[in-house]
Amino acid sequence: MSLRHIEIVDSDPTAALVTQRGLQVLLDTEVEVTVAPSPDAAWLDCLKEEVDLLIIDPNPQSRAATSLVKALRAYRPHVPVLVLTAYDTPRLRAQMQTLGVQHYLAKPIDLLDLNEVVRTALKTATHTDMMVPLKH
Amino acid sequence: MPKPSSVHNRRPLRTNHGRHQSRIHSRLMELQAQLAAAQQREAAALDRIAVLESRLSTLQSAPDGDRERLDTLLAICSALLVIHDVEAILQLISREVARLFPGTRSTLVFLVDPDRQQLALRATSNGQPCDLILHPDQGLARRSLLSPRAMLLTGRDLQTDLQSLLTSQIEQTSVVFAPWPPTSMLLAPLRVEAQRLGVLMLCSGSQTDLFHPRDLPFIQTLADLSAVAISEAQQRERATNLQHDLAQIQSLHAEAQARLSTAQAQLLQSAKLAAVGELAASVAHEINNPLYAARNSLYLVEQDMPPDATQRPFLEIAQNELGRIARIITRMRDFYRPTRAELTPTNVNKILIETVELVQTHLRHNRISITSDLTADLPHSIAHADQLRQVFLNLMLNACDAMPDGGCLHLTTGVLPPTNDRAACVIIRITDTGTGIAPEHLPHLFEPFYTTKPQGTGLGLAISAHIISQHDGQISVESTPGAGTTFVITLPVVSS
Repeated sequence: MSLRHIEIVDSDPTAALVTQRGLQVLLDTEVEVTVAPSPDAAWLDCLKEEVDLLIIDPNPQSRAATSLVKALRAYRPHVPVLVLTAYDTPRLRAQMQTLGVQHYLAKPIDLLDLNEVVRTALKTATHTDMMVPLKH
Repeated sequence: MPKPSSVHNRRPLRTNHGRHQSRIHSRLMELQAQLAAAQQREAAALDRIAVLESRLSTLQSAPDGDRERLDTLLAICSALLVIHDVEAILQLISREVARLFPGTRSTLVFLVDPDRQQLALRATSNGQPCDLILHPDQGLARRSLLSPRAMLLTGRDLQTDLQSLLTSQIEQTSVVFAPWPPTSMLLAPLRVEAQRLGVLMLCSGSQTDLFHPRDLPFIQTLADLSAVAISEAQQRERATNLQHDLAQIQSLHAEAQARLSTAQAQLLQSAKLAAVGELAASVAHEINNPLYAARNSLYLVEQDMPPDATQRPFLEIAQNELGRIARIITRMRDFYRPTRAELTPTNVNKILIETVELVQTHLRHNRISITSDLTADLPHSIAHADQLRQVFLNLMLNACDAMPDGGCLHLTTGVLPPTNDRAACVIIRITDTGTGIAPEHLPHLFEPFYTTKPQGTGLGLAISAHIISQHDGQISVESTPGAGTTFVITLPVVSS
C-alpha cells in the first residue's frame, strides 16, 4: 500500500504547522502530511498526482485558494478537498458547496474531530483516471 | 216738408191722409231701430267701462300686492340667512313660493348635478318624492337653465318644450305637475355670477292667466336669493368635507411618518448592532486561527506528557479555558447572524411592495414618482423578511436623499439562471434618477462609517451589505454622476 499524501494550504503558518503536526501524530505513518508553501505549489503537486487530500483555508483577502479549488474541480475532480477555515460565513459555505467541496470545517476545531473527517475523506478518495487534460 | 199740391193735381183727401200716416209710421220704425242700436251701443260701452274699471281697480290695488310680496321676500331672505343646509333651503323655497304667487299649483326646484351633467329634481311643493332627471340639452331644461333671467312660458312655446320630454319623464312629470299639462309656467335660473346652480319652476295648472309678466322680477329675486343661499351652503359643505379630508390626510400622514420614523430608528439601531456584529465577526475570524493553534498545540503537548505529570491539571485548565474562549467567540459571531429558524422561503416582490408602502408618503412628499417592473412568479429566496425589508428601506431612503428636487424611483426584479460558479438567483435593481455618486466614493460605499452625507452615520449601506452577505447574496452599485444610481442585489433562490 503506497503512502497517502495530505497537503495543507493555509496563509496562517502557525495554524498550518499545528494542523500538519497534529494530523501527522494522529494518522501516524499511514500518511504523509505536508504544508504547501503557496496555493500555486499545491496546484503543481495536484497536477503531478501527488496529493490524496487537500486541506485548504480560503482567505477572504486573497482569491488564490478559491481559484485553486475551482481549478481542482475542473481538472482534478477526483482529488478530495477539505476546507478548514477561520473565516466561516454562510456565503463561503455556500460558495464552497457550489464548487463541489465535500468537506467543510470551521476553526477552532479539535484535532480529534478533524482527524475523523480526514479519515473519512481519505476513505472516500479514489484514485481514478478522471484526469482532465489541461487546456493550452 | 211736403209741398202743397196744385189745383190741377188735386187728389181725394182720404188718399192723401193714408199716405201721410204711412210715412209717419215708417219714420217711427226707423227711430225705434236707431234707439235700439243706441241702447245696444250704450250697453257695450257700459260693459267696457266695467272692464276698465275692473282693470283700473286691479292696477290701483297692485302697489299693495307688491308691498306684500316684498315683505314675503324679506321674510324668506331672513330665513335663508340662518339656514345652512341645502335640503332645508330647497324645502323653504318650494313652500314659500305659494305666498309670493297665490294659486300656483306646483313648484319644482331642480339642481345641477355637476358629476353627471344633468338637472335633478330636489324639491316639490306637494312634497312628493320624485326622481325626475332632466338633461340640460332638453328644451325645457335648456331654456330655463341657460336663460339670463326669469321667463313666463305659455301657449305654443310651452307646449313645444313639454313635448321635448321623454315618455318616461312625462309619466314622472305628470305626478308633480298635476294637473298635466300646465297652461303656463314661470321659470327662473338659479345662478351666482356665471355659475348655474339649477332652476326654479312654477306651474299654473289650468288657469291660463294666473301668471303675469309683472311676476317676473319677483321670481327672479327669489331665485337669486335662493341661489346665493344654496351656493353658500354648498361651499360650506364643501369646506367641511375638505376640512374632514384634510384632517384624515394629516392623520394618515402623521401615521405614515411615525411608521417611517420607527422604521428609520430600527434601521439605525440595526445598523449599529450590525456594525458591532461585523466588528465582532471580523475579530472572531482573526482569533479563530490563533485559538485553533493554541488549543491543538496543548493537545499535542498533552500527548507527549506522562500520565502522572504534575503539569497535567494545569494543561487541562488551559485547554478548558481555550475551549471557553472558542465558545464565546462562536456565540459572539452568531449573535448577529440570522438563525436558520428565522430564514424562510420569502417572496422578494412582496417585501419590496411592503417597503414601498412604508415610504409612499415620504416619496410623495419629496415629489418622487415610483415605477416598478416586478417579474411575476418570482422564485422564493431563503431569507429573513425583516432584514430584507431593512435593506430595501435603506436603499429607498438613500435614493430619496439623492433626489432633493424630486425624480423617479424604479424597481425591477428578475431571475438569473445558474452558472458554473453560482446557483440560480433573484436579481433586484433599485434605480434612482438622482445626483449619482462620485467615482472616488464607490469603492468605499459599503465600508462601515463611510458616508458622504453631513448627517449620515455611514452604517446603512454597510449593514445592507452585511445582511445580503449573510443571505449568501451579493450587492453592488452602478452610478453615473448627474444621471442616477442603481443598486443591484442578488439572492440565491430556493433550490428544488
